[in-house]
Amino acid sequence: MGAFHSVPDDHQYRILSEKTGFSLEQTEILHNRFKQLSHNSDVLRRDDLNTIPDLACNPIRSQIVEAFFDRRNFQKDGNGPVQEIGFEEFLIVMSYFRPPSVHMTEEQREELRRAKLRCKNASTILKVLFNMHDTDNDGTITLEEYRHVVEELLSRSGSLGKETAKGIADAAMLEVASMSMGRMGPDEFYAGITFEHFLKILKGIEIETRMHIRFLNMDTTLLCK
Amino acid sequence: MLRVVGLWGEVSAEDHEDGGASHHGGGYKIVQWEWSYVQTPYIIAIWLLVASVAKILFHFSQRFTTVVPESCVLILLGLVLGAVVLIANKKQLYQLDPGLFFLFLLPTIVGDAGYFMPSRLFFDNLGAILMYAVVGTLWNAFCTGFCLYGVKLAGVIDDKVQAGLMEFLLFGALISAVDPVAVLAVFEEVHVNEMLFIIVFGESLLNDAVTVVLYKVYISFVEVGPGNVQTADYFKGVASFLVVSIGGTMVGLIFAVILAFITRFTKKVRIIEPLFIFLLVYLAYLTAELFSLSAILSMTFCGIGCNKYVEANISQKSRTTVKYTMKTLASIAETIIFIFLGISAVDKSKWAWDTGLIACTLIFIFVFRAMGVVGQTWILNKFRLVPLEKIDQVVMSYGGLRGAVAFALVVLLDGEQVKAKDYFVATTIVVVFFTVMFQGLTIKPLVKWLKVPRSTNRKPTINEEIHERAFDHILAAIEDIAGLNGYHHWRDKWEQFDKNYLSKLLLRKSVYHKSELWEAYQKINIRDAISVIDQGGNILTSARLSLPSMASRTSFPEVTNVTNYLRENGSGVCLDLQVIDTNPGAKVEEETETHHVLAGNLYKPRRRYQSHYSRHFMTVGDQERQEREVFQRNMRNRLESFKSTHYKRHKKDRSQKKARAQLHLSQLLLLLTSRVKPTNTQLRLGMTQAELVLKREGCSEENKGERSEPDKDEDVGITFVARKGSETPKERPKSVPAALEVCQSPSVAPPSPTCGEKNLPWKGGIGTLPPCVSVEATKIIPIDLQQAWNQSISSLESLASPPVPQEPQHPRVSFQFPGGKEEEEESALSQQQQEMQPLMPSLRPPPPPPSGWCVGKLKLCSLMGL
Repeated sequence: MGAFHSVPDDHQYRILSEKTGFSLEQTEILHNRFKQLSHNSDVLRRDDLNTIPDLACNPIRSQIVEAFFDRRNFQKDGNGPVQEIGFEEFLIVMSYFRPPSVHMTEEQREELRRAKLRCKNASTILKVLFNMHDTDNDGTITLEEYRHVVEELLSRSGSLGKETAKGIADAAMLEVASMSMGRMGPDEFYAGITFEHFLKILKGIEIETRMHIRFLNMDTTLLCK
Repeated sequence: MLRVVGLWGEVSAEDHEDGGASHHGGGYKIVQWEWSYVQTPYIIAIWLLVASVAKILFHFSQRFTTVVPESCVLILLGLVLGAVVLIANKKQLYQLDPGLFFLFLLPTIVGDAGYFMPSRLFFDNLGAILMYAVVGTLWNAFCTGFCLYGVKLAGVIDDKVQAGLMEFLLFGALISAVDPVAVLAVFEEVHVNEMLFIIVFGESLLNDAVTVVLYKVYISFVEVGPGNVQTADYFKGVASFLVVSIGGTMVGLIFAVILAFITRFTKKVRIIEPLFIFLLVYLAYLTAELFSLSAILSMTFCGIGCNKYVEANISQKSRTTVKYTMKTLASIAETIIFIFLGISAVDKSKWAWDTGLIACTLIFIFVFRAMGVVGQTWILNKFRLVPLEKIDQVVMSYGGLRGAVAFALVVLLDGEQVKAKDYFVATTIVVVFFTVMFQGLTIKPLVKWLKVPRSTNRKPTINEEIHERAFDHILAAIEDIAGLNGYHHWRDKWEQFDKNYLSKLLLRKSVYHKSELWEAYQKINIRDAISVIDQGGNILTSARLSLPSMASRTSFPEVTNVTNYLRENGSGVCLDLQVIDTNPGAKVEEETETHHVLAGNLYKPRRRYQSHYSRHFMTVGDQERQEREVFQRNMRNRLESFKSTHYKRHKKDRSQKKARAQLHLSQLLLLLTSRVKPTNTQLRLGMTQAELVLKREGCSEENKGERSEPDKDEDVGITFVARKGSETPKERPKSVPAALEVCQSPSVAPPSPTCGEKNLPWKGGIGTLPPCVSVEATKIIPIDLQQAWNQSISSLESLASPPVPQEPQHPRVSFQFPGGKEEEEESALSQQQQEMQPLMPSLRPPPPPPSGWCVGKLKLCSLMGL
């Protein structure tokens, strides 16, 4: 964490680029952005992200910001939140949203690896999403946590907020329960959405094709504040 | 309709003589033959009838329809009809008239397509669509035109075809545009995946501007002669393209705003809501046509633009009306177009066959279409996150169907100016027939063979809706953090703009605050309600109705759908009954279960009289009332049956304490019929309603004799509502004496909804409910109090219809059955309820963390026995 000097050399860029799959240009652009956000320091704090003006209207801002500071998202078996992240962590979290096939060449061997990577990618991004909702890291999204998500999603739409959110979350949870457990006995309870069930309910959405954004090779950082 | 008259002018001339002869007969005739009077509408009606019957016949054979697309059969039918007319009259009387086509048939189809366009999908793929529509069409038009000219110079095309470069370019322009009608007709049956469909279909709609401009430019070029065309004219052509396309779009959007704004104020005149939609969407088309802008673009964007706001503003019934009317019109227009295409082909006066021209045209349009698609896709794939695969490209090339637009345009050509018109007409007919029949017929096997991903006709689940929304926000946020101004960034910006300004202007206040997620949620619920009704038909048999002692849920009929099973019998997952930790005696348990069985299976009896009639309002029919009831019940089940293990522990100790504390309370609150809201003020509101109801009860006890009349009781039955409110314990002691005082207070509160009731956040939806219910109620009280009591209940019921999602922590059970019918049961029930009273609080354990804890309440609307 924070192992990066403010001016990393080419070599370090290359290592990162290989690790995350971003191209060198993209890595550099993202590093510029990182410096811009962190006000030229080596580490990024929550406040740095929270103050991005474009983000202000995003209803689930806190969860997304939290994803950047969640140890689960950049360490093998890490756990719990961190206070600040370095550029490497920033890049790793970003790389989940990278379209899978950008840096690969056309060769057959690469093709095969790509297929593998895409699979891995798809599940890792789902894992990130799952972690986003599973705030207490117990492996399930409980009703409380789910309600919280829906509540935040609806928070922009004013008065209806809480009550509706609860209703929707409850109904959604029931749906998951009925989808994943089938028929339940009278004294069975559905504790929460596990990762397997999470994958199951999102099967209908083609996550690989949807959860990506285009990272440009051009530097547009100056355009946005 | 003048054009239509012209269409059948031939017939009218003949029949006029007959009509005239009958009039000269002299004297008074009892029956007169007024053919000339009704002729035009009569023939139109007959045509529509023939077309519709043809559709019915066609759909008789299931296997046939899966193989042959409808459009092919309709064209064949048209050919046969045309042949019949030709043999009978020696001359073809009917043909697809361009005026009729462009002014009436096309707008119905485009209007339908635009209004129901999946806008999200459309805008997600807008880049690709625009590329194919503009660049692709230009490419096709020029290549086809030039190559035909080249082939002509090479001598493949006969010399009789008198056409120069400009004529061929003109022909290339009108033959190269992919046709929306044909694409819709064929692709709707193929069910390729949505992305592929929207790209091909979007292209066919948006290329209209290109076609219109090219067509007009070339016609003017042909008129002045190719030698006199100046360089400036080419630039004028480009400028004209911009004006036509952007102007058309703007006209459409302006009309969309007007339409959305108008529907904001139609609350009092629900009945003409659909009319506004049809009129303004059609006006958008006509206005664009008036200024010779792209009418299709205008109508499409009017539909896309207004859809969101209009659908939110108008009532559910209007929505259904609009949907069905549009679909009906579009379907019939499509049928007529294809039949007339077939008929028009059987006309020897128009045919001027040139094999070279026809063969070359077919080859060129196919080859250039494929080349264009491959080339453009190659460019597009550099920018797309989801690349278009080879299979997609094949389907896109193959799906470039030509249709009635090309035919109408070619018929519109001036034979004086364009010498080769007859050849062009014949070629166009062959091309249209080839693409619609041959390609339309083979595209299905092709899609199957290539294993193109099909569309699933599945509706999104609530979870998917939630997550898709979350995805949008996440992606926008990631773009913001990464400092990219990408697509998601701008879409997010647009949504904020829409939320802050547009929606405020165009949406009703009551609708504005509802989020889309909530809408989706409600839609899903309504769907469930309907499916419950569908499936529940067998549950509601009379056998079940007369089963007050039926005790176990094992006797529930098998419900095929697991989800519905769970929702139907909340007990399947963990109904309240199973989670109570106090151990009620076996008898009590059985009785309580009986109540739940009743609750699950009995519907409110139907009202016998529906005295209200008005042209401007539609009363809530029985059907709707039942749907609503099912909806509520369904929701209750949903919410109730979900309880996480987490709560189990809390419940144990709490509910036992509460059970004791609540004992007397529940007896007092027993009399409350109100829907008590969680907050303090709302609690008071609840009290006023309780007052009202109690008063009514007093009255009804006075009228006990009257009460026993089955007629009056029909509505009431027994209403048993157990609910938990989330008042804090501090509030309760206050409320109880209040309720007691209320009991004694002699004042009669009007049964109309209190203003507090109206102001409740979820009351917005009430707008859709007819105001007549409460009005009716107030009118009647002085006359007959007993009846008013009935009415007030029903009005309260109806007022409270949408709240279920809003008060999810108030599971509600209400069961009613006709009191007059089963007097014995009634008394038995009230006894049971008395026995149950101590149970009630523990029956409904509170959701521990959020709201302190709850009061179990019984609502016994006809509690005369107590």
